[in-house]
Amino acid sequence: MKTQRVADIVVGCGIALFGILIIYASTLITSGTPHKLPPQTFPMVVGILLLLCGSGLALKSWTIRGVDFAIPWPDGEGVRTLFVVIASIACYIILLNRLGLPIASFLYITFSIWYLKRSKWLLAIVISLITAAISYFLFIRLLALSFPAGPFLE
Amino acid sequence: MGFSFDYLFQGFSIALTWQNLFWAAVGCFIGTLVGVLPGIGPVSGIAILLPLTAVLPPTSAIIMMASIYYGAMYGGSTTAIVVNIPGEASSVPTAIEGYELAKQGRAGPALAIAAIASFVAGTLSVIALTFFAPTLAQFAVVFGPPEYFALMFMGLSLVISLSGRALLKGIISMALGLTAGLIGQDPLTGAERLTFGSVTLTVGVDFIAIIVGLFAISEVMINVEQRLTSISKMEVKSWMPTWTDIKQCTGAMLRSSTVGFLLGLLPGCAPSVTSFVAYDVEKRFSKHPELFSHGAMDGLAATEASNNATSTAGFVPLFSFGLPTAPSMAVLLGGLMMYGLQPGPMLFVTNPDFVWAVIASMYIGNVMLLVLNLPLIGLWVRIVRIPFYILGPLIVFCALVGTYSVRFQTFDIWIMLLFGVIGYFMRKLGFPIAPMVLASVLAQMLETSLGQSLLISWGSPWIFFTRPISAVFMALAFLSIGRGVWAQIKAKAPEVVTDDAEY
Repeated sequence: MKTQRVADIVVGCGIALFGILIIYASTLITSGTPHKLPPQTFPMVVGILLLLCGSGLALKSWTIRGVDFAIPWPDGEGVRTLFVVIASIACYIILLNRLGLPIASFLYITFSIWYLKRSKWLLAIVISLITAAISYFLFIRLLALSFPAGPFLE
Repeated sequence: MGFSFDYLFQGFSIALTWQNLFWAAVGCFIGTLVGVLPGIGPVSGIAILLPLTAVLPPTSAIIMMASIYYGAMYGGSTTAIVVNIPGEASSVPTAIEGYELAKQGRAGPALAIAAIASFVAGTLSVIALTFFAPTLAQFAVVFGPPEYFALMFMGLSLVISLSGRALLKGIISMALGLTAGLIGQDPLTGAERLTFGSVTLTVGVDFIAIIVGLFAISEVMINVEQRLTSISKMEVKSWMPTWTDIKQCTGAMLRSSTVGFLLGLLPGCAPSVTSFVAYDVEKRFSKHPELFSHGAMDGLAATEASNNATSTAGFVPLFSFGLPTAPSMAVLLGGLMMYGLQPGPMLFVTNPDFVWAVIASMYIGNVMLLVLNLPLIGLWVRIVRIPFYILGPLIVFCALVGTYSVRFQTFDIWIMLLFGVIGYFMRKLGFPIAPMVLASVLAQMLETSLGQSLLISWGSPWIFFTRPISAVFMALAFLSIGRGVWAQIKAKAPEVVTDDAEY
């Protein structure tokens, strides 16, 4: 998927398949009480729309030749950085319920700043500590929002 | 309910309470901060901060959100002028003229003129909003479910203009947004839909998680990939503009406020379009057109004035019809719905205190922005230098806290992350994001009003074409769709999102 045309063909086909999945899923919806607009109608319409537009995109891109653009995908290091960023957010979400908002935020921000700028580990710790303190005192203590405080701060 | 000074004064009495003044000031400050920070646009900023306002009463929360919005619109000019980074497409002419002025050592006066132009345009537009919105709403109180459905259908047809040349991609984006909005229980019968047996999905996908993911998380991913760092070393010593500057810009501010406001009333006419139109108009009116692109203060004033006027004009269709005309308005619509408020003609009848307080707060907010921003120009310039390796993780923190605080469900933050990744690929592959946001916000309302209409008509879809108001909206929607399809057929070009389409 290096060029726009190829990407559009691939994504168009993927969207069309997704549309078929939605159409299939809408046939599984049980109606319950009778209604002028049964619950499966709207998902069915949306599924058909996805199928038509997905196929249309793939077909249109396939027929148009000549004008094309390269998609600015990241290089190897960029892909690695992106993967680490997404994985670290996923870990942050997992740790949120286990360690609580303040500690999970501290760990996430420390790691992220350190990862994006290796030389600034002390700054990373200071900023993370401030954020963790704010998240505890502002969101959990002062505003009494139902954030997990974690085993050490409950 | 038409315009009445009593309502406006009542609105001022609510907006001038110390709590609302405080939240308006906080909103202006945070909004400007969000606009100033490179890498966060107004839409992302509002999306991140929207759930955080959930702890406030609805009026205070929306006053704060509106302040954040116009604060962010102003703040974007700082990065454009000082570091030549237009945060959004509408700031491109600001960057062209402002950065040239900055190179000539006139960054301070350029920033001050931007603030004054924003204030003038903002105030004139709020005056127009005060008279326009209730008049339109009065016309719209006769709305029933068929009219609402037709209106929302027309709203969805806005994907044509929000998609630029990428029509098929725009419709796909809209259909994906609708799909996300349909997950959970059917609003009319309670039947489970598209849950694939998952109990978690029964509660549905919260559109705030979708919005935050699409804008904030994907923005972080794009910036990380581009290894964005802070790049400004510029010092601003004096910000006071000369009388010549002010005289030169007065006409530009007034003309562009009018252009920006009138164009901003049209669906799909985003600030990114109107700022270029106003810039071009001003070039024709200017006594020194040769200075344009080389540091024309009136060109800068025109862009900033039209930018702010268009932003305020967007509140007219939002309040009167519940119709978001731009992505930022779609996010604000989500905010209103989060508080159980239904924007549209009945808003002026059912919640007059709220709507007039918000309008009154805009007058106050504009003054606050000017008072806050002129002395703080030096501070904003220093903030531009915050490196992204600090900013990025803090944006993720705010996004996570904001999304989680809506329903306190971990599932929502997974959805946020998922839509962050989807948003990243959509940007890379040239899919417009705005239609997805619009559709995910409107999905349930659209289906409910369709169901209610069909109940009234005993299942006949002709109800949408036999009632005059809904017939007009349906005709406009089909015209819009037809125009877009015809343009696509004629173009025979690859699906590319153009500059005039936001995202």
